[in-house]
Amino acid sequence: MIEPKALNRGLLLWGALLIVAASLFAGQIAAQFSLATRAAPEFAGLQKLILMDSILPRSAMAILCGAALGFSGALLQRVLRNPLAEPSTLGISAGAQLAMAIAMLYFPALMEGGREAVALAGGLIAVALILSLTWQRGLEPVSVVLAGMMVSLTATAASAALILANGEYMFSLFIWGGGSLAQQSWVPVSGIIWKILLACAASIVLLRPLSILGLDDASAKNLGVALQGTRFLVIGLAVWLATSVTAEVGIIGFVGLAAPALARLTGARSPRQMLAAAPLVGAILLWLADGFVQLAAGSGGERIPTGAATALLGGPLLLWLLPRLRMFEWPSLNAKPAPSPRARRPAWTVAVLVILTGLAAGIALVLGRGPEGWVIARGELLADLLPWRWPRTVIAAASGAMLAAAGQVMQRVTANPLASPEILGVGTGAGVGIAVPLMLLSAPSQIVLLAGAMAGSIIVLAFMLAMSARSGFGPERLLLSGIAMGALCSAILTAIIATGSPQAFMLLGWVSGSTAERLPEEVCVALVALVLLVLPLVFTTRWLDMLPLGRPVGLETGLPIRMSRGILIILSACLTAVASLFVGPLSFVGLIAPHLARLIGLHRPLTGLIGAMLIGACLMVLSDWLARMVAFPYQLPLGLFASLISGPYLIWLLSKGGRN
Amino acid sequence: MIVINRRAVLALSIAAILPDRSAWGQEKRIAIVDWAMLETALAIGIVPVAATELLQFRSIAVEPHVPESVADLGLRGTPNFEMLRMAAPDIILSSNFYEYRRASLEKVAPVFSMTVYEPGTPPYGLAEKVALGLGDKLGRREEAAAYVAETSALILDLRMRLKYHATRPLFIINIGDARHFRAFGADSMFGDVAGRLGFTNAWGQESSYSAAAPVGMEALAGVPEASILIVGPVPPEAENLLPQSGLWNALPAVKAGRVATLDPINHFGGLPAARRFARLFASSSLFSGSASND
Repeated sequence: MIEPKALNRGLLLWGALLIVAASLFAGQIAAQFSLATRAAPEFAGLQKLILMDSILPRSAMAILCGAALGFSGALLQRVLRNPLAEPSTLGISAGAQLAMAIAMLYFPALMEGGREAVALAGGLIAVALILSLTWQRGLEPVSVVLAGMMVSLTATAASAALILANGEYMFSLFIWGGGSLAQQSWVPVSGIIWKILLACAASIVLLRPLSILGLDDASAKNLGVALQGTRFLVIGLAVWLATSVTAEVGIIGFVGLAAPALARLTGARSPRQMLAAAPLVGAILLWLADGFVQLAAGSGGERIPTGAATALLGGPLLLWLLPRLRMFEWPSLNAKPAPSPRARRPAWTVAVLVILTGLAAGIALVLGRGPEGWVIARGELLADLLPWRWPRTVIAAASGAMLAAAGQVMQRVTANPLASPEILGVGTGAGVGIAVPLMLLSAPSQIVLLAGAMAGSIIVLAFMLAMSARSGFGPERLLLSGIAMGALCSAILTAIIATGSPQAFMLLGWVSGSTAERLPEEVCVALVALVLLVLPLVFTTRWLDMLPLGRPVGLETGLPIRMSRGILIILSACLTAVASLFVGPLSFVGLIAPHLARLIGLHRPLTGLIGAMLIGACLMVLSDWLARMVAFPYQLPLGLFASLISGPYLIWLLSKGGRN
Repeated sequence: MIVINRRAVLALSIAAILPDRSAWGQEKRIAIVDWAMLETALAIGIVPVAATELLQFRSIAVEPHVPESVADLGLRGTPNFEMLRMAAPDIILSSNFYEYRRASLEKVAPVFSMTVYEPGTPPYGLAEKVALGLGDKLGRREEAAAYVAETSALILDLRMRLKYHATRPLFIINIGDARHFRAFGADSMFGDVAGRLGFTNAWGQESSYSAAAPVGMEALAGVPEASILIVGPVPPEAENLLPQSGLWNALPAVKAGRVATLDPINHFGGLPAARRFARLFASSSLFSGSASND
């Protein structure tokens, strides 16, 4: 089972990283000591206090939070038999954040004493929701992660909308969202320490039943009530650890996912080894990331939040390690979603979708709010408002359709039901592509931005697929590297937004996704792109039909695999780039729409493509309308509404699909 | 022709909701996107028909008072163009922060934009130019010149009054949570005004006002002899937790009671914000003898 060579190499790697982290820490202490000795005698005590009450507890906090997140991730992955489970993919951090945002806005008294209880309640509700929704499907990993990402996204969207609608958008949102480890006392440290000790003790008790839980599906399904109870106990333990961290230092993403994965990749195998190694790896990762954050900080404060830095550090590490280590066994995800009925008359289904989309567009154009309440615009008023409404409605529809088409193609090409522009990091890649000309040129034109977005998304998608092709990636590893890539790109964006310049201001608007002011020329660009990029897809439906079947079938039927994949990849990356230039990276329509098309029975590539595009357009138009109407005249970000609409709907359909 | 007719019709229908322009003795219907422009316009006696994010403006910028008649255009980041259109302005006041949006704004009305903040430039001089430029553009030249002169006289007067107090450097901060703050450097309006009042800014860097990079409280120990001026609003949670923090209480400024909290002021304001800051600062507990530290 254990491969000594891999284990040794792993120990060497982590030992080296530990030394780097420790030397960064030593550097800080030395710097602070020299400050203390140089300070005037009456202030030397203060500098010592900073050493004792700020620098030391901050490092301790980094180590402990990293360990807690790694431990929490390892427990969740073990007990759910799901290599993608972690506090953020299961919506635990986002649930905790939403609960804290609600409490802060509406029950501030609750936050003073019961911060942790509030966070724990939020996290538990999120997990309970996900588990109950996927219970029918035996907590099948793909469904759990899908439901988890939706719950997570919806909760994030809801808390961002709450904060936005209440005005104080920048500061608190970023301290929480970014995660900051700054400390001024030992109280939070001692709070976390006894939780970790308690969790360790509990896990020793639970280790035996846990090792049974790690067995295959067949034996796990026959578990008795007592063991199911143990399972929930372990999940509760993991949630408690993760929400305690969120309550203290905000969202530190990625460590919970990366630590167990990296521990496994570098040699840990047995449950015992995993539970020991994951917290250690997590601790080293976070300590190292925070050390770099402090090193990069000038006297003007930290340049990037620690939560973003963990992704900047862990993302490339994971991307680099994934193709290099092939010998380990990865528990196979049953990557097939539940079967859904086939539409008997697909043409009718498509016709209904066309009518629904038209209806949504009609509402978006005519129904609105004015200074005096709801207005159905007619005549003069309509003529006057249309120049504002039609471009954004058309852009929303076109972008929705493009994202849906991109999602459909990606899911087919990778034969992976979770692949989508959002999950493979292609949307955020487009964002980085937009950021580059924004930072380099004083006033880049739309065309330059579009070129940047296209370059960004093509590079990301090509990179992901090249990696997966080189190492024979299964769907799990592709998803994992997609999540890593997405986290890496958003970390870059967060770091740029942190500069607070006017360009950063534009980028922030783009990230939240706004179709607000669109010029007719931009509508032209969107429509031309839609036609140019989708038409070839219509003629390549045979490829879409064959590619998911895999290489052998493809070769037999004489399919030019390499070329067809290449063309489809470029098409879907361009679709994503154009769409996300207009609506931002945060829609999840690209994931949802193809699923919905399948769930209402449109399985054939062509009807599936058309159906998905119509659904995408309809969802996006409705989201745009809601974003304009809900808090009128305050416009909320479109991306938030797109995920608020799609999330619950997909979750509902997933749980319904299980019962059939 | 058609467009003009339509606008006239719309203006009539809006007139029922919005104030009669003649009541304010104005020739033009003005909409304002930028807060610094809004403040300055109000200060020289111009009442716009519509402006952005008034809920937040009334609670954070506080003054000048915004009449109830002004329509809210929604968030500054994404102003509501339908509402803007319905307000039927003759001119839109904007700033360099919203320059990328000019094309869309110009579809509603001509845009008049000025630079209110520029990286590395102390903003007080720019704010004076904005006031004079606005006065010039909107036929309030005398009011604008008077306001600029009054403001600099006020600052000069306060500088004389505070002459013997300006012995220590000053941190000007805004509290994020119990562990983080944002600092206003010499390139911020508050830093610039404090300098004009004769105070040295303890924050040697440019403002760390970026969104994602709050500074840990321990950085306040970097200049132990400094006083600390907190510009509101202070989050209620921080208000309760900060006095319990050992490090906060160990800061020399906190120990000696050299900490004062000011009511909220627009962080990116124009001359009115400068004036409000100068006035609140001069009457703060730092100089009242009975300094308190909460």
